[in-house]
Amino acid sequence: MTQSETFYYDNKIVRDFGVATALWCVVAFTVGLIAALQLVWPAANLSLEYTTFGRLRPLHTNAAIFAFVGNGIFMGVYYSLQRLLKTRMYSDLLSKIHFWGWQLIIVAAALTLPLGITSSKEYAELEWPIDIAIALVWVVFGINMFGTILKRRENHLYVAIWFYIATWITVTILHIFNNLEIPVSAFKSIPVFAGVQDALVQWWYGHNAVAFFLTTPYLGLMYYFLPKAANRPVYSYKLSIIHFWALIFIYIWAGPHHLLYTSLPGWAQALGTVFSLMLIAPSWGGMLNGLLTLRGAWDKVRQDPVLKFMVVAITAYGMATLEGPLLSIKSVNAISHYTDWTIAHVHVGTLGWNGMLTFGILYWLWPRLYGNKLFSTKLANLHFWLGTLGIIFYTVPIYWAGWTQSMMWKQFGADGLLVYSNFLETVTQILPMYMLRVLGGTIYITGAFVMVYNLIKTARSGKLIANVEASAPARAVAGSHKGEYWHKWIERKPITMLIASAVVVAIGGLVEIFPMMLIDNNVPKIASVKPYTPLELEGRDIYIKEGCVGCHSQMVRPFRSETERYGEYSKSGEFIYDRPFLWGSKRTGPDLHRVGGKYPNSWHYNHMKDPETMSPGSIMPPYPWLLKKEINSDYTAAKIKVLQTLNTPYPNGYADRAVADLKLQAQGIADDLRKNGVEVEGLENKEIVALIAYLQRLGTDIKPKATVERIQ
Amino acid sequence: MYKYILQSAGNINWMAIFALLTFLFIFLMGVVLAFAKDKEQIKHFASLPLEDGQKEPIQ
Repeated sequence: MTQSETFYYDNKIVRDFGVATALWCVVAFTVGLIAALQLVWPAANLSLEYTTFGRLRPLHTNAAIFAFVGNGIFMGVYYSLQRLLKTRMYSDLLSKIHFWGWQLIIVAAALTLPLGITSSKEYAELEWPIDIAIALVWVVFGINMFGTILKRRENHLYVAIWFYIATWITVTILHIFNNLEIPVSAFKSIPVFAGVQDALVQWWYGHNAVAFFLTTPYLGLMYYFLPKAANRPVYSYKLSIIHFWALIFIYIWAGPHHLLYTSLPGWAQALGTVFSLMLIAPSWGGMLNGLLTLRGAWDKVRQDPVLKFMVVAITAYGMATLEGPLLSIKSVNAISHYTDWTIAHVHVGTLGWNGMLTFGILYWLWPRLYGNKLFSTKLANLHFWLGTLGIIFYTVPIYWAGWTQSMMWKQFGADGLLVYSNFLETVTQILPMYMLRVLGGTIYITGAFVMVYNLIKTARSGKLIANVEASAPARAVAGSHKGEYWHKWIERKPITMLIASAVVVAIGGLVEIFPMMLIDNNVPKIASVKPYTPLELEGRDIYIKEGCVGCHSQMVRPFRSETERYGEYSKSGEFIYDRPFLWGSKRTGPDLHRVGGKYPNSWHYNHMKDPETMSPGSIMPPYPWLLKKEINSDYTAAKIKVLQTLNTPYPNGYADRAVADLKLQAQGIADDLRKNGVEVEGLENKEIVALIAYLQRLGTDIKPKATVERIQ
Repeated sequence: MYKYILQSAGNINWMAIFALLTFLFIFLMGVVLAFAKDKEQIKHFASLPLEDGQKEPIQ
């Protein structure tokens, strides 16, 4: 018999990540609530550029995903990993560097995103210096995790740890490939991929950020904390093995379902759809494995708020993972895409699955970290109901809004014309649903505040048990027992597990992305499509800075309802100079791909100054600062040079005369504005002129020379 | 019959076939990993979260 060894688990790092989880949870929800409020009351931005919807939306999504859920992952991993491996974390110093590094990154995000420093790629908006910091801190986490695994006392790696390993390696791959960019300045970079290729890489990342940040680590937490809370082993360990391998393999293929009916080649769309449908099987296998763990223990669920939270979380996971594949069917996606249906879907996942599971874990952990009982079970139960009702009040109106608006977009009258040809009509129709969404969000966030109070009171009435004594025998050298071949091959070898996971998740990415990069036929060139002028480039960067992509798509799908409303459908060859691509994923306002030449310059000027003057009832906020701030052409030449290295065909030496060209084009637009009654000193130097140049260029390369046809 | 199904499925290129085959391989690997263990092993693995070697401060 091997002698038992005594050691200590590090609870302090778990507590620290737990505090950060609760803190950022409140911040992320508050920012989301303010953003939701602005959709019914645009003035809620207090007329500040830093708090407009376009800049707050990425702050909300990043805070929810990387600050709230991210810290929740680390809290759960640091607690469970030590106990499953019967050892303290590899290095307390690395744990601290990881903790403070991650918090600094979040603070950097909270500062830069409102300042408009963004790459515009969804869930990867942070600019290159922060991307590097993320990579470094992630590596620190990886070293700490694998160091812990290597010094373990338990031979077998429990299935939760497989999910942690797959998460780490996949996030590493995704982060690197989606952030391949060339810096232009300290806060600006240009991605190496363009147009449809950039879109495919981005949504390969975006989808798998959901898969490998919001899902796989949380499945690991479910496989650990649910048995702990219910005090019974998982229903089927065999099922968890199949769940793991099938899920990580299939998930990576599903990214193209975010690009159905776009300019992405049909074969890539088809693969995305098929694998999305296949995802139902492992997802529901995992959900059932979770729920069935509670068989015979449902009496506990009635009494224990922790289990209540977990049951709702797993149910929400089941609902979201059934709905996701259904949304990937092209005919369903034709209705759902660009509408609030998608917003409702992701909130079932984040508020339900991630939120409720995190709350359940926090309520389970806090008394154990502080060596006492939870301050108030009644308040925890109150939070449970506020959370559950909050999700319902949030999602139901938004589902309704999505369906309503989509139907209105597609409705034709007996005369063969669109019934709701004015996009704004379809927005004002759903404003009551947006108001109800604010109510749902308020209920949900109230629950979060109740939890924070409960956790603070629990902590104050106890004392942190920073180091917990434990004992276990030293790890025995694995012997060769009959029937252990398959087990020894991978489940006792963390590096083999790491490599196997990397290979399994890489297959889908390689098959889908490499042909797009290598085969020219996938992106047919269009001779009339030319690179942006320097002024248009600067205008495009203002469009990116203001987060216009959060509300406006640039992708006309090949539906009659869209070509009637917007014009010719979008072709992949039109985007070959778009770095980054700006197709968007939500239409709170109309698509802008064919907006070039649709309105006169003065219309855009007045619309940006105060949208309600041109579109009464609009919920777009005014952008008066664009009329005052001057175009920054300090980096125009550097941008041209970087684009030239990426094969954008500007003439040799063009960077040297780019600013002169910029001024010439700006003068032309300013003169036109003056002719139409806009009297502002130094108008040709203002940001609004660059933005107008960009908007007037959009979608005009493949249509006859832009002419002003009508004013609406 | 199977030819008809394949034809009606449209342009089945090497990517689709490769995707199907690799999925089958991974799925079968998971099945083998799951069922090549005896009951006692599985019982031990499943109970790992409940055996962390520490005294729970409260219950």
